[in-house]
Amino acid sequence: MNLFCLGLNHETAPLEVREKFSIPMEHLGQRSYQLTTLDGVREAVVISTCNRMEVYVAAEDDKLSDAESSVKKNLGFEVNDTAHFYNCRSVEAMKHLCRVVSGLDSMVLGETEIFGQVKKAYQYALEATATGGVLNKVFQKSFGVGKKVRTETTIQNGQTSVGSVALDLAEKIFSDLKDSTVMVIGAGEMSRITVQSMVLRGVKKVYVTNRSHDKAVALANEVGGEAVRFNDWSKVLATVDVVISSTGSTEPVVRASDIEAVRKKRKYRPLFMIDIAVPRDIEHGVGEIEEVYLYDLDTLQKQVDEGHARRKAQVRECEKIIDAEVLKIANQQNNHV
Amino acid sequence: MTLTLVIAAILAGLAGILGVRSIVTERKRTRWTILLMLVSFGLQLIWLGKRGEMRASCPLLDSGEILVFLAWSISLFYLIVGSAYRITLLGMFSAPLVMVMLLIAKIPGMLDDNPVKQTNVDYWGEMHSAISVLSYGALALGAVSAVMFLVLDRLLKTRDTSSGLFKKMPPLDTIVGSVVRLTIIGLSFLSVGLAFGFMMRIHGGPHFWVAIVVWLAYLLLLGIWFVRGMTPKKMSVFVVVLFFASLSVFVVL
Repeated sequence: MNLFCLGLNHETAPLEVREKFSIPMEHLGQRSYQLTTLDGVREAVVISTCNRMEVYVAAEDDKLSDAESSVKKNLGFEVNDTAHFYNCRSVEAMKHLCRVVSGLDSMVLGETEIFGQVKKAYQYALEATATGGVLNKVFQKSFGVGKKVRTETTIQNGQTSVGSVALDLAEKIFSDLKDSTVMVIGAGEMSRITVQSMVLRGVKKVYVTNRSHDKAVALANEVGGEAVRFNDWSKVLATVDVVISSTGSTEPVVRASDIEAVRKKRKYRPLFMIDIAVPRDIEHGVGEIEEVYLYDLDTLQKQVDEGHARRKAQVRECEKIIDAEVLKIANQQNNHV
Repeated sequence: MTLTLVIAAILAGLAGILGVRSIVTERKRTRWTILLMLVSFGLQLIWLGKRGEMRASCPLLDSGEILVFLAWSISLFYLIVGSAYRITLLGMFSAPLVMVMLLIAKIPGMLDDNPVKQTNVDYWGEMHSAISVLSYGALALGAVSAVMFLVLDRLLKTRDTSSGLFKKMPPLDTIVGSVVRLTIIGLSFLSVGLAFGFMMRIHGGPHFWVAIVVWLAYLLLLGIWFVRGMTPKKMSVFVVVLFFASLSVFVVL
């Protein structure tokens, strides 16, 4: 019995190709089972996420090529798709699965979501009786390797998006965001993404303000907040802990005098201000006020870059663990995989 | 006796080293810090007990004894506050302070080589000294927390957020909470200590008045914090400055 992997991902295929081969989560078990009915295929697991579609197949040694052809045909593989697909066999397929599970093959290096997605896909295949002795062992071992990589390296340390860096900083200042109030100035996409991550952490209250009030109302409804007219945002400033500003204004929207005016009313509590607008919305002088912590897009992006660099520096360590573990597994199975 | 104090100092020093190491290597905080401080605290207690037996009174009659008592009360509050608010990083700042205090106490001249046994003990005076020095333990830890706040504030203001120290620091509002809580605890003990001072057979003099001024200064600081409000940075600076200024109480003993 041998193992092969056939797949495409965000690096090998553009979105339209990935869309073509994408399989809804609820059909993964059924599709895995379908593959096991093909000539030469004994076991199969289909993984499909927004960034990849992969098929892991266990087939008889002498029918490996036939199995591969029938799987391709079944997936709707055409000649022009060849360039987008990769395939690997035996130990290399196992290594590839370990890399995927560990987040080394992900668009965001070291992300953890993929671990759960692969586990779910395997669970569906298992429930559909599409797996057997070979793939059960391969997947379970790969989950063990994935866990080892995450515990023994710092591959998941360091934030990789502006929103998550802002969230981390907010939690460094206010510990529990459940007691914090956030104000969003400008209802654009960046604001939406950043405030949503804070809403997920359970912030107490969100105010949204925008020059076009309708947009403020729309975003407020989306995040369960309250819209405030653009002329009135300074009235709620005294009650907020975090300000996220991202308007298209060419002039500063928040000036040091706005903050000075409410300092006493705020009892000089810390205020975290995130300026993700270009040009900047918050006047530079605001950051010089003692209890204000002002972070602009460049500062946040720098930390994102550092996070990426820190993760990249860990890749070699992760690969070493994967190589050693796969070698151990291969030896245990006497090269049957 | 000497060995007990030296071992207590070494253990506090080790606790400080472990704290620093966990920050530098970005490892998880170690429970050894608390254990080492606990043993050091026990040894300080043994030393103070024996010294008290020699004095037949509270061992607060020379500079060395005051330092050891202060180190003991810092260790006590560290153990209480450290586990209750989970600010074990406080150990990194307070453990070396305890070590330094114990070592200074060992400098020749700080401790009476032949402590005189007290025959005419004023028990109100004993209570006044013990409770007041205990309050200084809380106020010292409040000052240590305030230094922690100032360090984190600086890191946040200069956007130096990738260092191990930044990651290991508790959140800003937790530190501010600690500073305020410890100052309240310190002021409460100080109030009780002063009340005992009023009951002493003889009171008054510069020491008494300096203690009153220190008490009023802390009361004013907390009053401003709760009523008018104050930036956490100013509060921290005042807590540190006030603690060092309040040590003048011991100068005018």
